[in-house]
Amino acid sequence: MIINHPLLGPRDAAEFVYLGDAALIDRPDPSVADAAEKFHEYGYLRDNPAGEHQELWYHEQGDRSWLVVTRNTLSHEISKVELARDVAVARGRGR
Amino acid sequence: MVDLNLKAEPFLGHYSKGFKGVDLREIDDNSLVSLALPLGEESKAIKAIEAAFGIPVPDVGHSALAKNGAMRLLRLGRDQLFVVFLYEGMDSEPYIADKLAGAVYSTDQSHVWVTLEISGPSARAALERICPIDLNPDAFAIHQLARTNMEHLGTIIIRTAPDTYLLMSASSSAGSFLHAVETSIENVA
Repeated sequence: MIINHPLLGPRDAAEFVYLGDAALIDRPDPSVADAAEKFHEYGYLRDNPAGEHQELWYHEQGDRSWLVVTRNTLSHEISKVELARDVAVARGRGR
Repeated sequence: MVDLNLKAEPFLGHYSKGFKGVDLREIDDNSLVSLALPLGEESKAIKAIEAAFGIPVPDVGHSALAKNGAMRLLRLGRDQLFVVFLYEGMDSEPYIADKLAGAVYSTDQSHVWVTLEISGPSARAALERICPIDLNPDAFAIHQLARTNMEHLGTIIIRTAPDTYLLMSASSSAGSFLHAVETSIENVA
């Protein structure tokens, strides 16, 4: 499998480590009333879609960047690759 | 007190060997300092590096050479650079840090990496056996670089001339790395 890194171009999947669902970017706010419930969901509950899935990959044998890869779990087709930092900033993280 | 007279030896003992169409040798006269750009202050750090060394900071995946050839900047990631330079002393990190006045985080990596230079008309063919990067001259221009792995060993490859590449890998596995590269050369030589 080839992952088309946004900065480095096409790279072999062997250079990457897979983490899982990109929902991990959306860490809950610990100060809200139902924080314990939210963190339980964040830590343990995952969707398992048959189809398009956003997931975190780490370019360990490369530039050590985190990526958000949009991959179809049925066909393994990769439709989008973004830097996780850019995704986090777009979702409201400061920097 | 015993008067010790210790002298650092290169990791591969000045290795140099010619194969059919390929020359392979150890480069052991460089110092290496890693620069990490502080989060949110990348552009300030880049300006400081350019002012200190007079070399434009390259894009990720590229390197840039000083006019006199004595220093090369490697842009390994959005927030990381290596400075590879000819330097005699053991104080290479303070030497670089002083010029950058706190604009980056720097660490001495001089004795962490072993460097091999592979050159010759068959160098690319020899590398194609172990390097997962597309080394076609159109896809991998001179001064371009990539951090990847060769035979499971993390490796930085830099194209320095049409048929010349620098390979940098961990010094702790220098012998295994040399064996992997030699084996790949012997498969095509």
